[in-house]
Amino acid sequence: MANYIISASDAESMAKSKNLTVPQLLPSLVQSAQSLARPPISNFHVGAVGLSSDGRIFFGGNIEFPGLPLHHSIHAEQFLITNLAAHGGGPKLLYVAVSAAPCGHCRQFLQELRGVCDTQIVITDQPQENPVYKPISSILPDPFGPFDLLDQNTPLILEKHDNKLSFKDDNFLTGKFSNLSNLSNGYSELVMKNEVMLKNKGLEAARESHAPYSGCPSGVALMDCEGKVYKGSYMESAAYNPSMMPVQAALVAYMAAGGGGYERIVAAVLVEKEGVVVRQEETARLMLNHVSPKCELRVAHCV
Amino acid sequence: MNLPPKTYIIEAEEAASMAKSKNLTLPQLLPSLIESAQNLANPPISNFAVGVVGLTSDGRIFFGGNIEFPGLPLHHTIHGEQFFITNLAAHAAGAKLLYLAVSAAPCGHCRQFFQELLGISDTQIVITDQPQENPDYKPFSSILPHPFGPFDLLDENTPLILEKHNNQLTLKDGDFIIQDKKTCDLPNGFSDLNAKNEELLKTEASAAARGSHPPPKDGNFINQDENTRDLSNGFCELIAKNGEFLKSEALAAARGSHAPYSGCPSGVALMDCDGRVYKGSYMESAAYNPSMMPVQAALVAYMVAGGGRYERIVAAVVVEKEGVVVRQEDTARLVLKHLSPKCEFRVVYCN
Repeated sequence: MANYIISASDAESMAKSKNLTVPQLLPSLVQSAQSLARPPISNFHVGAVGLSSDGRIFFGGNIEFPGLPLHHSIHAEQFLITNLAAHGGGPKLLYVAVSAAPCGHCRQFLQELRGVCDTQIVITDQPQENPVYKPISSILPDPFGPFDLLDQNTPLILEKHDNKLSFKDDNFLTGKFSNLSNLSNGYSELVMKNEVMLKNKGLEAARESHAPYSGCPSGVALMDCEGKVYKGSYMESAAYNPSMMPVQAALVAYMAAGGGGYERIVAAVLVEKEGVVVRQEETARLMLNHVSPKCELRVAHCV
Repeated sequence: MNLPPKTYIIEAEEAASMAKSKNLTLPQLLPSLIESAQNLANPPISNFAVGVVGLTSDGRIFFGGNIEFPGLPLHHTIHGEQFFITNLAAHAAGAKLLYLAVSAAPCGHCRQFFQELLGISDTQIVITDQPQENPDYKPFSSILPHPFGPFDLLDENTPLILEKHNNQLTLKDGDFIIQDKKTCDLPNGFSDLNAKNEELLKTEASAAARGSHPPPKDGNFINQDENTRDLSNGFCELIAKNGEFLKSEALAAARGSHAPYSGCPSGVALMDCDGRVYKGSYMESAAYNPSMMPVQAALVAYMVAGGGRYERIVAAVVVEKEGVVVRQEDTARLVLKHLSPKCEFRVVYCN
């Protein structure tokens, strides 16, 4: 199975066996990260490997979705950050190795990590024998970042988020899913059995969502044909457009857990506030309909 | 700086005399125009107005401001710099961007999108909110060292934004895809009228962009005729009259679209309640996500020509290839339905 996370002790012993420090080990893992990429539009595989302050190594590869507009693409660096966030990595990203120069969109998204200007980055396709680490600040000088808009105390990605959210109506737990027999994908029993967990995971994801700019946290929970549930949180960027959509975040969790084809995803719940200034529902539905046509998206509003 | 309220373009002669009257060079003039640019912004979500002003090699000055769309996900946002580039692409083909002034440090998404302009590494940029007496110009390359750019993926001869794009596209069928038999799609007996009005429409749009033409009054809808056929938005006749022009403008926009990464050019044309048509081309970024969607590009054209409320937009056509790897249709429909619920939306496929 593909590696998306290496435990701290495994990382240590791997490095030791090669007579390297863990940071020195990262470049040798980039190719492995590239093999996680699914870029059928560009065929340009990008791999990102990061060392978390808790000693674990996380991986990311770029994912493209044929048939959808390009803003649905997941960059390797965003995959990496989402992977970190989903598995309690951090609170700091200390070192990152990438197979190609990160684009500006990613250099911007990285600003959502506190202290990222000190994170050390190495780009492995540089025409050098031994590419050298340099601080991220050197590849995005004079950045536009969270604290151009927020108070310094606002939690950033990898810091604890606990948005005080609950479902809008108590009856929700049975409400929207009451027409399960209408589910055309043949998984109605499975969904019925797991629906409470699915909704609760969606709410959990919304509670963990990083949305300080809009005040509109949201989360998605996906269920596969074996009843396993994966969650992903919406994560905003100070620059708005690079924000990570919650369906994409949940797909990262799916892939990092060994996922498989998207058509294995049979049910989904989006949890977000109703009628607010930033709404994911229609875009989430469009996206899911496209990657897994038999998967129906249900929306649960929270307050 | 006494510019008319919604100025998006200053012609070379006027720019030169403006600078002269202040005893400044053109580059020195730009920072003084930033506030005017910020006034073009419409950011109801952040309330953070960004203004962008730039000088091209032919002596013209272009403006941009950021636009936010409450109710939609944030990736629909138009940054000041992207507004600016779209404005530039629509009016300055063949020119180079020499100097750029922005009210705040461009975000990484914009620094990336700028890579689609040929020679951007040499463009001089100044950020006017920097805490300095006289902020200095510096090369664009200094704010995105070691960039990921077009030529990491493309052949060096591929045209970039501002260079001529002429995608060889033709409409797949002669007619609109008729979605509802009730909608009227009369055979066009008005091609003469369209041809006659085309120049006028273009001139008026340009004049509006220069601030010399007052924007259409809000709510200035054409009186509905009881004999008008039953389209839900009441603009059936207007759409029938201008339908062919709308389609051909969308096709023209698709032909001018910068989509070398996906090979999926597309264009959008919008018509307002006065029958004016505005077009916008899809413009890709090497980094994919920062790509400028065609509806947004057409909305920029709408705003530059004087704009007004989005509800004034009564018809839209998207032209794109069918069943290809990057498709705008569903997203374009979503955006337009949100901004102008009564807008008639059509997709016309091209080859």
